[in-house]
Amino acid sequence: MSAGLLLIVIVAGAYLAAHFASEWMARRFLVVSGAEYLLLGVLLGPAVSGVIQASTVDGFAPFLTLAFGWLGALIGAQFYVRDLIRVPTDHFRVAMTEATLVLLVVAGVMGGALRWWLGASWAEVLISAVVFGAVGVSSAPTGIAVVSRRLGTRGFLMRQLQVTPAMDALVAITAFGVLLAVTHDAPPSGAPVPTPTEWVVITLAIGVVSGWLFHLFVGGERKIDRLFIALSGALILSSGAAAYLRLSPLLPALLIGVVLVNTSPARHEIRDVLTRVERPLYFVLLIFAGAAWQPDGGGWVLVAAMFLLVRGFAKVGGAALAARLHGHLPSLGSRWGWGLMGHGGLAVAIALNYRLYDSSEMAGLVFTATLVSVLVTDVLSAWIVQALVHTAPEPAAATASAAEGRP
Amino acid sequence: MRRLGILVVLLVGMELVLPLGSEGQGSQALLAFGFLILAAYTIGEVSTAVALPKIVGYLLSGVFFGPHVLGTLTEGGAAGLAPVSELAIAIIAFLAGAELRWEEVRDRGVVFGKIMTAELLLGFVAITAALFAAQRWIPVAAELTGLEMLAFGMLFAAVAIVHSPAVTMALLTESGARSPVARTTLGVVLLADVAVVLLFSLVLVVARVIAPPSGESVVPSLGLVVWEIGGAVLIGAVMGLAVATYLRFVGKEMVFFGVLAAFFALEVARLAHVELLLTLLVAGFVAENSSEQGEKLRHAMERSAAPIFVVFFALSGAKIDLGQVAPLLPLVLPIAVVRAAAIWGGVRIGARWAGATGDESRYVWMGLVSQAGVAIGLAAILAEAYPGRGPYLAGMLLALIAVNESVGPILFRHALTKGGQTDTAAEASEKGRPAPAAPLTS
Repeated sequence: MSAGLLLIVIVAGAYLAAHFASEWMARRFLVVSGAEYLLLGVLLGPAVSGVIQASTVDGFAPFLTLAFGWLGALIGAQFYVRDLIRVPTDHFRVAMTEATLVLLVVAGVMGGALRWWLGASWAEVLISAVVFGAVGVSSAPTGIAVVSRRLGTRGFLMRQLQVTPAMDALVAITAFGVLLAVTHDAPPSGAPVPTPTEWVVITLAIGVVSGWLFHLFVGGERKIDRLFIALSGALILSSGAAAYLRLSPLLPALLIGVVLVNTSPARHEIRDVLTRVERPLYFVLLIFAGAAWQPDGGGWVLVAAMFLLVRGFAKVGGAALAARLHGHLPSLGSRWGWGLMGHGGLAVAIALNYRLYDSSEMAGLVFTATLVSVLVTDVLSAWIVQALVHTAPEPAAATASAAEGRP
Repeated sequence: MRRLGILVVLLVGMELVLPLGSEGQGSQALLAFGFLILAAYTIGEVSTAVALPKIVGYLLSGVFFGPHVLGTLTEGGAAGLAPVSELAIAIIAFLAGAELRWEEVRDRGVVFGKIMTAELLLGFVAITAALFAAQRWIPVAAELTGLEMLAFGMLFAAVAIVHSPAVTMALLTESGARSPVARTTLGVVLLADVAVVLLFSLVLVVARVIAPPSGESVVPSLGLVVWEIGGAVLIGAVMGLAVATYLRFVGKEMVFFGVLAAFFALEVARLAHVELLLTLLVAGFVAENSSEQGEKLRHAMERSAAPIFVVFFALSGAKIDLGQVAPLLPLVLPIAVVRAAAIWGGVRIGARWAGATGDESRYVWMGLVSQAGVAIGLAAILAEAYPGRGPYLAGMLLALIAVNESVGPILFRHALTKGGQTDTAAEASEKGRPAPAAPLTS
């Protein structure tokens, strides 16, 4: 049996098994996660069974690039300004502070650890450290959404937990996108050499121009099929352009998402189209991310464990500090950062994007640590959020009401 | 003006981006994919504005932006999109099979068979004769004996009579047509797709006896051909049942499942050396006719695969090298006329033989003129089988295909419109049956 055929059979079979198993587990045990697909990829990949070879992963790189772009657009589509202005600004302040603190702490500590581990200079570990930071910031919203639906809780804490992953994603994607732009290598000989600032502008321009193209293309129509063609074209074009220039497809796509939901009258249809295609791409992303894992020696265990600890401390500590700085510690409690512990698809996308561009040992360590973190935290995220909400501080309701202007 | 603006933005953007990057991990293919979706679709809309089918616009965009004219789509970029083309062919074949209902095949199969037999036979004889007549103007045929010329003429004709299921499906979904003319055209095209593969293989075996190829050549045996057809039916049927089972017991993630099933069929057909199109046709037919959920899958695949189809036709256009086609046109255009006339005559005879309606007799031939992927594949086999003279004949065939690929969709669209045959969703609804799916190429 050929590797390609075997791959399809296993992916299909495993998809079905995982699909049924995850549905049952979500209902029965409140375990919601994509980690099972990631684990499946690891089992199929060269590190374990070798069903998916490294060359196969390379062959699927365009699909993965597209998955990055699609994910970025879906995240960007959350930033509909008219919805956002209804949320009290304190939530955003707390979330931005938390995200910035986590980015700085994780990048700083993991950079130091890499220096010590590999005997490298700060300049050599800078990129990996910032990628660690960007990965560390991102939080999975799935567990929060499930608990919110299940418990119907609408307090200050739950609102904060709902707002923060989106802001985390914004900070993570921006940090990663800007990082790849400012540290960009020179293009092939003969071409003009853009400065780091120009690379940042190019990254942003890809997103803005693609969003503008979408509008030109769609005109006043709202037919779902036409929207699908336009959206696919704009996202594939922007993701392809970003990957071709070795920039992150996530940031331009995020901009497309923001531009489209805020300027198009068909924002609901756009979200529908984005959601419809996201799932299959997400499966592909997780399965091939798992398959791309190739640990180099046994040192990754230490780095992964350290990343888990550092991120955990940074999330809990950063969240508590952010709440304190903005005067919301009484309503959020000092442990609300536990609710952000889930580590989802965005973290995988950032780490895999970095891994595809950089085959160095450091990039491998970042990728490995991310996968371990996702496998460990994502499965438990809904449980953690539920436990957190059940033990939320009593004054939360009063403070939340005051913050939201309700009696 | 807006459409011109899109094309200008796209072209300027590509000109700015291309020098700054480098190919790696298929990124250039992805860039080309995105560019083609928007550019080809825009030109498709322009072509609609001048009363041409959209797929003519897609083909033209491939010609303009392809490696042989503007070069925005490089050969590397086009090669990187080969999997997209393969996937498109697989999905088109599956959807084509799913379009056919068992009741229709049972009630109208004889009509399809008679029309197909007449038009294929007449086309085969007429094109062989035309090649005989043109022998002195064909450089590689000038010194051939009569018997050898007969062999090459038959080989050429066996490829030249091929139709295009892809173009037929694209136009049927674009127009939403479900009339007798539309259904008969689809039935004949699908049936002919099986027959021409058999015929070509038989002719190749005969030609090899009459005019043995010089040097090493690849000629399939008759047993292999029988397996290609029989195996395709068998494997396709099993796949169709598997799809129906999925639809019955799971019925979720249709897009993911549809694409996965298409990839799976591609791999199986390749490994088992069976005819790919037929495998997918049968799979689509069995899935649709043995499951109540088949229509849901078909609609999901049609909607989600629309960008793939746009790019498929644009890539077909990108393969047309105007520099190579132009010098052959004086030779090929008369053959194209003979072919079209033979199809017309064959359909008239077949329709009368089968007792078909007047509209079918008058208009079905227009849907049979198009050629695309299958013919290109057979031309490549001809070139391989006869390394000496084959490449020139294959070049002539490609020029003929380019002509038919350009003219065929216009004729078919005319046929569907002329007889008042297009059927909108509203009309379908009035007639109490499900509305046609969203156009493949909308």
